[in-house]
Amino acid sequence: MTERRYGRRRVLAGLGAAGLSGLAGCGGFTPEQNEATGTDGAGNGTVGGTAGDSFGEFRGSGPLAEGRGDVGGTAIADLPDLSGELTIYLGGGEGGLYRDLLARFEGMYDDFSYNARESGTSDAANTLINEGSATPADVFWSVDAGSLAAVANRGLTAKLPSNVVDPVPDEFHPDDQWVGTAGRARAVPYNTSALSGGDVPDSVMEFPNSEALANAMGWAPTYGAFQAFVTAMRLIEGADATRQWLRGMLDAGVSEYNNEFLVSNAVADGELDAGFANHYYALRVKASRPNAPLDLAFTSGDAGALINAAGAEVLSASGNQELAFTFVRHLLSAEAQEFFATRTYAYPMIPDIPPVGGLPTIDELNPPSIDLSRLSEIQPTLELMRDVGVL
Amino acid sequence: MVSDGGFGRVRRLLDDDEPGTAVVVLAAAVAAAVLSPLVWLLVGASSLDADAAVSLLTSGTATTVLVNSLVLAAVVTAASVVLGVPLAVLTVQTDLPFRRLWTVLAALPLVVPSYIGAFAYVSAFGPSGALADLLAPLGIGIPTVYGLGGTALVLTLFTYPYVFLTTRASLLSFDATQLEAARTLNHTYPEAFRRVILPQIAPGVTAGALLVALYTISDFGTPAIMRYDVFTRVIYVELNSFGVGRANATLLSMQLLAVTALILALESRVGGDAAAGYGTPSSVETVVSLGRFRWVAAAAAGGVSLFTLALPVGILGMWLVRSGPGYGGGGLAFHPAFAANSVYAAALTAGVTVLFALPVAYYAGRSESAFAALVERATYLGYAMPGVVLGLALVFFSSQWLRDAVGPTAAQLVYQSLPLLVFAYVVRFLPQAVGSTRSSVLGVDRDLIGAARLLGASPRRAFRRVTLPLISPGLLAGAALVFLTTMKELDTTLILHPTGFTTIVTYIWRVQEAGYYGRAALPALVLIAVSGLSMIPLLSGGRDDA
Repeated sequence: MTERRYGRRRVLAGLGAAGLSGLAGCGGFTPEQNEATGTDGAGNGTVGGTAGDSFGEFRGSGPLAEGRGDVGGTAIADLPDLSGELTIYLGGGEGGLYRDLLARFEGMYDDFSYNARESGTSDAANTLINEGSATPADVFWSVDAGSLAAVANRGLTAKLPSNVVDPVPDEFHPDDQWVGTAGRARAVPYNTSALSGGDVPDSVMEFPNSEALANAMGWAPTYGAFQAFVTAMRLIEGADATRQWLRGMLDAGVSEYNNEFLVSNAVADGELDAGFANHYYALRVKASRPNAPLDLAFTSGDAGALINAAGAEVLSASGNQELAFTFVRHLLSAEAQEFFATRTYAYPMIPDIPPVGGLPTIDELNPPSIDLSRLSEIQPTLELMRDVGVL
Repeated sequence: MVSDGGFGRVRRLLDDDEPGTAVVVLAAAVAAAVLSPLVWLLVGASSLDADAAVSLLTSGTATTVLVNSLVLAAVVTAASVVLGVPLAVLTVQTDLPFRRLWTVLAALPLVVPSYIGAFAYVSAFGPSGALADLLAPLGIGIPTVYGLGGTALVLTLFTYPYVFLTTRASLLSFDATQLEAARTLNHTYPEAFRRVILPQIAPGVTAGALLVALYTISDFGTPAIMRYDVFTRVIYVELNSFGVGRANATLLSMQLLAVTALILALESRVGGDAAAGYGTPSSVETVVSLGRFRWVAAAAAGGVSLFTLALPVGILGMWLVRSGPGYGGGGLAFHPAFAANSVYAAALTAGVTVLFALPVAYYAGRSESAFAALVERATYLGYAMPGVVLGLALVFFSSQWLRDAVGPTAAQLVYQSLPLLVFAYVVRFLPQAVGSTRSSVLGVDRDLIGAARLLGASPRRAFRRVTLPLISPGLLAGAALVFLTTMKELDTTLILHPTGFTTIVTYIWRVQEAGYYGRAALPALVLIAVSGLSMIPLLSGGRDDA
């Protein structure tokens, strides 16, 4: 661990130090929590809120959620009531956490009920496209902006009113056909026993040439988030540079995994020195194994720093659009945003609400400027990946 | 195996036994129904322009996946026969200790969803896997689990029960007195097996082998996890893109179906009706005494179960114990009602599928006509249709198309309803029931039916009193296969399930998709346990005395 190396990623020092030395800072990991969780899998800290604050219902507990005070944003109490019945298609759904939130909303209002169906993001989008105007769905809430845009591009969505989208930064509602509800940053989980933060290049394009990373990297090319990342690279750097980058990574002996949780897990296990993954997977591994030698690095201003969004849109065939708009506002309420931040470790979409665990804020991350709706242009990306032999 | 030709009247009555028009129409209607989703494939692929289609199909990747898919299917099928046939013989014809237990255990791997089986093997034997780490200090290195070897191994371990169950059904319909006769002629058991038993169980073995081959080329989960490039992996990737990707996926699915048709044509040459049966009802007594090899055989059967059941269950248990917030977090808890939903849908599907399969199997088993063969083969195509592709086809049909063609009420009634889901299952799994039923029909001694007719029974009565009881092991085996595969079916279920109808598998998907493996462990164990319990009546329904 070289102190100097933390310069660029000072914001993550708490995360790394807690894991390695047990000197947990405020908002970092506490080893005591680890002792409590132990190996018996009692599952401490998975449910329930911290008593005594206004977010008790919604805020997660556990090491990453501790020490958070009140946050900004619009409280649910200040929103119109939810009243009526909604059919909601979930793309993904964070292992049931989205259903968990829906159940909380239902519990808050006597007159509100919902039907939720979930499938994979692209399955759900393909289903909506095949249903067309015959869809029973009012809302599509998906963990990938590309799937939201794919449905919107077919003209199947209603424009969201300004009181829904205004609290959210513009890049997360590019054409108001959908709005981001939680951010998911691309990141580089790395093993702190094998590498120091400075070994991870600042530019994602330099990865194939890095001596330190040769034969020690992992990725998940069939995973949607990775394909979105390559799509972003193609849009920013061009097809040729992307092809070269993919070839370079293959030449550098990158290993393939089935999804990015497994990549992050393999980094924590020392099977890999570093990998490409969405940021929250590493946080989940850390939350479960605070002593794992795992930290996150971020590249700067390029595809490696892409922030994709989970988001929601309202179907134009819905006969219940007003209720659907109010529902989306609930997803952007302070309570729901705190829920996403502390339970899924996502980036809140409301600037007044900070991310957990000492993560850099969206502004500090310096994501590339790219229209997230264009992440649905996966086809040329796939052709390119196939050409190179990555798929 | 030629019967005494002296009974002219019996012969004439046997000719009557050629299936009647009603059976033919029913069989053809079933085939047409299960082929109907293919229409959507044609519509979907027609949106591609010809040049793009040709370039996709002739690209390096397309050729590679074609070869890879065929190689994988061949290896898995051969290995499944090597594993499934001896286990079936051991559990049916020998004095193996605890036969019923081994029968259930040998069939049970079928209930392990491939995404769980493959995941367990990667967790155990992959780099830094639990068992790999355990064995490494002992100097035992494990070759990589990824690629052809690992994929073939895992698929074999979890699909050989197809061969086991269909072979078992054939053996149960097999007339043991023939074996006795062969042995009085001084044939050793292996010799008698080759000359007497094998020809008669061949239709059963090939029916199972065909199911294995087709399952292998249509399976999504295993090749993806074990990193082996086959059709389904590429189709999956295409479906994850939008726009042209949807048409590409459709085109690749059609190519997959073409390969399936090829395999079906190949099988009808190899597999045969050579043994068009004249067996009498099976005998119930144990045929072969293993002597002191009984325990060796039991150990071998146990060894197989170790890899197919103990290992995945152990790995799941490990995830369960390991679970902290990272693995074990996530939303709403597992509820027993999910298991009830699974059993309900699977039982319903098993019943409907057997009803659908009966006319097809009976027609194919009784008629030599080319049309009968065509009808029977046609029912196999849906089996190779990737579940996602089938699901999306039915979405289009039952929402947009049905609304425009019939009316909004009809669409609301059908779309996302349980009957639609069951229909999708039938399309996918009908061949499992057709195959084993047909081989049982082939095994029925026609002289018996002739005798019944001679005694004045109507064809219908002869069917009910003679044929039906004789083919019941085949029907039950078919029902068991369909039940088990429906229990674990994921892709179609996710797309078509009635809203709010959570099953064990959709729950597992929900938590596992987000990486909460700890929460997937308990429902996966429930899935295996519930399926296992359900198998006991299904398997003991056969004439198993053990």
